[in-house]
Amino acid sequence: MTKKTIFSIILIVPLMFVISGCVSSLTQNQLSFGIQAAKKDLWDEAIFRWEKCLKSNPNSASAHNNLAVAYEKKGLLDKAKKEYDEALKISPGNKHIKSNYENFKKSRENTDDEKK
Amino acid sequence: MKKNRFILLVIILVLSSCASNEYWKARIEVSQKPAVNLDKFKEIIIADFFVKEETKNFNINNELKDFFATELGQKLENKISSKKVPLEKEDIFKDEDFWKNLSVDEKESVLFTGSIQYSQETRKALIKKLKKEQESPFPSESKFAQRKFYTLHLEVYLIDTQTGKIVYKRNFKETKSYKNPNQTAYFAFFDLVKNLKDKLFAHMLGTKRTQERYIISN
Repeated sequence: MTKKTIFSIILIVPLMFVISGCVSSLTQNQLSFGIQAAKKDLWDEAIFRWEKCLKSNPNSASAHNNLAVAYEKKGLLDKAKKEYDEALKISPGNKHIKSNYENFKKSRENTDDEKK
Repeated sequence: MKKNRFILLVIILVLSSCASNEYWKARIEVSQKPAVNLDKFKEIIIADFFVKEETKNFNINNELKDFFATELGQKLENKISSKKVPLEKEDIFKDEDFWKNLSVDEKESVLFTGSIQYSQETRKALIKKLKKEQESPFPSESKFAQRKFYTLHLEVYLIDTQTGKIVYKRNFKETKSYKNPNQTAYFAFFDLVKNLKDKLFAHMLGTKRTQERYIISN
């Protein structure tokens, strides 16, 4: 390998990291913004942010999970289930998502029985 | 060499940011299933309670009936009424014919009844006084203390007047101790029945419970 090739690799690799970092930081911003909104009990704003986050990164398990919690909070249980399923499909080993889903399932069994 | 170090640093920073696993626990309200569906009954009739042990100075059956008539009336939209039903034996609740044959105005009604036992007990115990912050040359004092304990056992039954069948049954036990040796059974009863009512309503009518969910940020 020539010195020129080595030098260009040295330049390109960090550049790729920086670019991908920028894209993910935009997504991360929406995710964080949503969390801040949820902490202030502004769940509609949080939903808006996490939906926006998913538009740019549909494979964000965190955004799917958070959105599921927000839907659950709003009583939109079918939508919540869909998001939990999606989150678990992307990140099946995530203990937090698994815990949320288990609790969601338990409470949903109760409310479904109530309707009957 | 310096360039390699720079690349390594960038990689480590990126990886460490990816590996972070932060979360926040959000609290959300989730409704819990009621043990019995009272919506299908137009009227709730508060019947007498089988009193296992009579209490001096007050009529526990009447107090209990009045208490639950008021509390259920505030909580539910069903019509609440009261009915005198003499209960002579404890196993009367299993007698479907007895309940089916009671004359009630509203067909779709449920009887709220049960058995009750209210007891009191005085216990003495040797209690050590807590040591003061500064060391005292004298040994810590101990003295006999007397506590009055009141216990309320309530077995609640909801019985469908059309079938005579029990639609809900549950036992409750509440105990409370009082320092005041003059605490009357009457006042202690209301302390106990209030706690008992909270547990009964939460189980029987269902309630909203706060649950936690993870909001994740990685």
